[in-house]
Amino acid sequence: MLSTLTYLLILAPLVAAGVVALSPARLAKWIATFGSLAILGIAVAFAIGFPNWDDGGFAPAGAGIAIMPSLGVTLSLGTDSVGLLLILLTAFLMPLAMIGSFSAVREREREYYAWFMVLEAAMLGVFLARDAIVFYTAYEFTLVPMYFLIAIYGGPERRAASVKFFLYTFLGSMLTLSGVIYIAAQRMLETGAWSFDLMQLAEFSSTKLSSGEQFWIFILLMAGFAVKVPFFPVHTWLPLAHDQAPTAGSVILAGTLLKLGTYGVYRIALPAAPVGGVELNQLIAVLCVIGIVHAALICWVQHDAKKLIAYSSVSHLGFCMLGLFSLNSLGATGSVMYMINHGLSTGALFLCIGMIYERYHTKDMDQLGGLFKRMPVWSFFMVFFTLASLGLPGLNGFIGEFLCLMGAYTAEPGAATGYPGLLGPWWALVAGLGLILAAMYLLIMLGKLVWGPLREPNGHGHGHASGHGDSHGADHGHGAAHASELPADLNAREIGILVPLAVLCLAIGFYPKPMLEVISPSVDKVLAAYPKHVERYVREGTLLDGEDAAPQGIAASTPSVR
Amino acid sequence: MHELARSLTQSFPTLLGADEPASIARAIEGADLGWAGLILIFPAVSAILCGLCAILKVKGKLPGAITAVSLLAAFVVTFLLYWNCPTDAPRTIHLFDWISFDWLTGPGAEPSAWRAFSAPFALYIDSLTLLWMLFVTGLGTLIAIYATEYMEGDVGKGYARFFGSVSIFLFAMGSLVMGGNLILLYLGWEGVGLASYLLIGYHYSKPSAVAAAKKAFIMNRIGDLGLALAIFLIWWNYDTVSYDALFAAVAAEPAAGASEWSKAAIPFCLMLGAFGKSAQIPLYVWLPDAMEGPTPVSALIHAATMVTAGLYLIARLFPLFELHPLALPTVAWIGCATALLAATIGMAQYDIKRVMAYSTVSQLGYMFLGLGVGTTFGAVYHVFTHAFFKALLFLCCGAIMHGMAGQLDLRKMSGLRNVPGFRIISWTFLVGCLCLAGFPFTAGFFSKDSIIAEAFVSDVPGASALGFLALFTAFLTAYYTFRVWFRVCGGPVKYEPGDEIHGHGDDDHGHDHGHDHGHDHGHGQAHGHGHGHGHGHSHGHGEWHPHGPRLAINGVLLLICVGALLAAVPSYLQMSGQPNWVQTMVTNSSAIAGASGHHGADGSHALSFTGIEDVHKATSVVASVVGVGGILVALFFHLLNRGAADRLRAALLSNGLTRWLPLLMENKWYVDEAYHIVVRAPARGIGHLLYLIDKLFIDGFVVNGAARVPAEVGRLFQPLYNGALQGYAATMAGGVALIAAWIFWVWLSGG
Repeated sequence: MLSTLTYLLILAPLVAAGVVALSPARLAKWIATFGSLAILGIAVAFAIGFPNWDDGGFAPAGAGIAIMPSLGVTLSLGTDSVGLLLILLTAFLMPLAMIGSFSAVREREREYYAWFMVLEAAMLGVFLARDAIVFYTAYEFTLVPMYFLIAIYGGPERRAASVKFFLYTFLGSMLTLSGVIYIAAQRMLETGAWSFDLMQLAEFSSTKLSSGEQFWIFILLMAGFAVKVPFFPVHTWLPLAHDQAPTAGSVILAGTLLKLGTYGVYRIALPAAPVGGVELNQLIAVLCVIGIVHAALICWVQHDAKKLIAYSSVSHLGFCMLGLFSLNSLGATGSVMYMINHGLSTGALFLCIGMIYERYHTKDMDQLGGLFKRMPVWSFFMVFFTLASLGLPGLNGFIGEFLCLMGAYTAEPGAATGYPGLLGPWWALVAGLGLILAAMYLLIMLGKLVWGPLREPNGHGHGHASGHGDSHGADHGHGAAHASELPADLNAREIGILVPLAVLCLAIGFYPKPMLEVISPSVDKVLAAYPKHVERYVREGTLLDGEDAAPQGIAASTPSVR
Repeated sequence: MHELARSLTQSFPTLLGADEPASIARAIEGADLGWAGLILIFPAVSAILCGLCAILKVKGKLPGAITAVSLLAAFVVTFLLYWNCPTDAPRTIHLFDWISFDWLTGPGAEPSAWRAFSAPFALYIDSLTLLWMLFVTGLGTLIAIYATEYMEGDVGKGYARFFGSVSIFLFAMGSLVMGGNLILLYLGWEGVGLASYLLIGYHYSKPSAVAAAKKAFIMNRIGDLGLALAIFLIWWNYDTVSYDALFAAVAAEPAAGASEWSKAAIPFCLMLGAFGKSAQIPLYVWLPDAMEGPTPVSALIHAATMVTAGLYLIARLFPLFELHPLALPTVAWIGCATALLAATIGMAQYDIKRVMAYSTVSQLGYMFLGLGVGTTFGAVYHVFTHAFFKALLFLCCGAIMHGMAGQLDLRKMSGLRNVPGFRIISWTFLVGCLCLAGFPFTAGFFSKDSIIAEAFVSDVPGASALGFLALFTAFLTAYYTFRVWFRVCGGPVKYEPGDEIHGHGDDDHGHDHGHDHGHDHGHGQAHGHGHGHGHGHSHGHGEWHPHGPRLAINGVLLLICVGALLAAVPSYLQMSGQPNWVQTMVTNSSAIAGASGHHGADGSHALSFTGIEDVHKATSVVASVVGVGGILVALFFHLLNRGAADRLRAALLSNGLTRWLPLLMENKWYVDEAYHIVVRAPARGIGHLLYLIDKLFIDGFVVNGAARVPAEVGRLFQPLYNGALQGYAATMAGGVALIAAWIFWVWLSGG
């Protein structure tokens, strides 16, 4: 039963994509909407039937379908609680993104919605994959629909943005693939049989490979994931991609696609190469901290609201990675919380910005401002999600952010507190500046967009008083020409897509316990190998001094495979 | 009355349903006290109902009535709690689990131990909590009633938003004060910051209000970071964030813990948080600007309650402040310096609300001084008395502003005590001023003296200097307080209206008027000017008349005035040999460590020249003289001989040696400008620079340069195509080929 649901989760969006592509254009959006709602239903059914919420185990069990038996490539689907939460997030955001596109996309509708369905299939595939090749295929396949979505439906610089997006992520993930293949090949040499099962690969790699190999494998694996995260200094594709992507594209990009990177680190890089994870821990943490402050300062000087939020994602994901690389349960649990909460609040912020872009055809905060007067309902949601984004306690963002920082803070090696890790107060202190800076740039955004005297671009100020019937200039953005249908403030459809997000933000903010309780067992499993590596690293200063220094029990049992 | 009944029936279901869901009322300890959660639920429900009113576009005072009734209910529940709950020992009331989870990873190589992080939604009820909540909910109720009239010009527009924000504030303040752990305190801490942000920026189309709101939130965020760091440190050292476990752990002096420095750093991090929220050096600059908010907000949030959160934090966690010997002296000196600095600025302001704002900063400084010299009782008592008289002063300012079309300049009003409708305001204002000035036998006199006296005998380095500085500040306080009263309420009747910033039937209230009233404005001229936008106005045409407040405002003024006078009763009882109620409340709480005092070795003190051995009596005498002296100086300069003040200022300005004094004081010592130059401008510059680097270097050179390589390679392989995607496809093929070759090589060499 459960395994049927997992196959359905990937098949259903693909089928929906096919139907959308073949159906009449005016039906496309409805098919996509109901299709994505049905997928949400399947995901919820899967979550209800999921047996391993409490122990961090994978379900459903089962061999899967052998695709290339000689190479051991198997279509085996299943996930643990963390993957399932991200599946739910994806399935939850997708219908909202679809409904949010109704008025924004008027040309080539079938393609648009079909690509989104394909994208959903690919993303769900990543979170469901138990086989490295399936994982990689799905991971890479997200690029194709996203490429077309940006290249066809994006802003004026959409071509450059889509190329850059594709190139960046593609180059990175090639390195990831090579890392995976290296592990699989070594395993084949050792055991005589090919397998790409993620658990088996991770187990082999973390116990049998030498510390030097793990070090390099970690770098290879991280290369692809870091680009997707996006991690300083390979983040520069993101602002442009967000800036140029259509609204729904940004929502999915920020909400779920970026989480493929953090999920990859969590699922593959950390378990497979603990030596690398420990050895490079401080370097990565430094980059996290630099990224947090760097992106936050850049946010401060942005004039374009969408770019600001895009850069804020870089800063926020820095917190997320810092929590993960604190290597203790506190930080890593917070990090997973952060993945989900960032998806909700930033996705919602992109929706909000999209709503004013449809009305005014600009996101420039110098031209647009004081919208509370014109759009009180929109302003309410904008303020609400901004507060969630800046980590106000009582809303969702706070939990993850606080735990990430706390994890990094308590991860000092020398302290006798029993929290393994290699960071410590100074990391959290500098990263904590991000909290102040986040308040600065987000409130500056609110101060310009929401509060203050009303400022509207030329041609909008007068006709808009009645809320209808303004005529737009000739400089229309692509495919978003019908704003005259939209009232001055949000309509019921737009409110309808923001309300579920707001409710979830509030609910998680006030009762995060169920989520934390299902995340932490999975985190325990992922980080199981770390305490002893950390301990040895603290004792000896490095894990890399030759074969002799391979983790205890490994050097003896593993002859050199070179 | 009708609205009142309606809102009652609306909150009633909640009252009934509140103890039904197991998650809400599951109490581990003090199960019978689960209803204490209603103190939080009432404002929360009120906020939701106000939100509904906003959605339904309710035209009427319903939101105000809902809020006032809810806050009254919260006050009643608080009082019942005080009545029913023995205050000798703290109780923890568990409402529901909030942030809590456990994990298996133990220390070292043995992953065996379960560890847990637990921050439940639990209330910590002891006498300190109750003392704070009594005046928070009590004053909250009164000020909400006041605001129903004060904000009536905005009925149907910002009315629901205003009262919704006030309700959010009371919920957050309740969480802050009653929260049973530091994370819940943090929720309240940031929550009151949010409410403050929303309310300071209430006149949202006024750029100065928006800027002030932003500034307040960001300044507070800096303090919040300190608080967060302190929470991390506490968790690190003591493995808990709950008060009950924390106090036990601190008392037990466990050998375990992270490190010595990390324990010593706790009080300093906490201090940063407290100084941010309670507007002390170096984070005080947001509070004067916060006066952009409607005056009831200034009274409730920025004078009586929220700004005392920092005091509460230190009083609550007083045991932690003994972890480092310099922690309390730092608090004392920062408090004293802030008191003096703010008083000097307050002397030179013309906006009466700003004078009151600086006096709040200054009085908060006194309270920190009290904490720093070890008299938690004195500090908390001053919090308590100050809450009443400062709320009274602000509400009087608000009533004047309300009646004078937004006029706040003390040079443009005079003799209000003789203006019909302003008599109650004037005389209650006088009571507030007497308290603030420390006039003998008022509440402010007793509470302030208990701080100053303890300063003289404490063992803080430079204790005598602290005492004399505090006395000097008391003189300045008396002077600037009565400068306001003599100017505004004394003298001949003379006034001109302001520019209507709080809006009367003025749809576009708070809009950027863009005009600055000169000194030469005639009567009514300003009025016509202010309404050049053609909005209907109740006062109408021609000659302008100030309008006095009606029942809600006058009634609340009288009630709080009585409260301000009654706040002195505990001291009278103490003088007659009975226990001081406030002292009992403080010494039964975690702030007890301070109540024992940190007296110097012997009984001698710097006030011995008065010939009085008992330091409290000596201080009383000296402070009385100082306070009355300040009032007399103000009497001379601002009632009897108003020209003298201007002449003195002109004389100081014309003399090159003394020019700096009035200039610095009037320009707030240029602290805002200094912050801008030293912090904000460079940071923004760095932001621009980084953005440039991001665009040019990383993106343009490194990435695009590197990107060209595979594209060229792709072109090499597939010369027929030159679309980008095809290039990548080629790259992919090439990459896969490379990888295959590598695997083959590995296989060859290994096999």
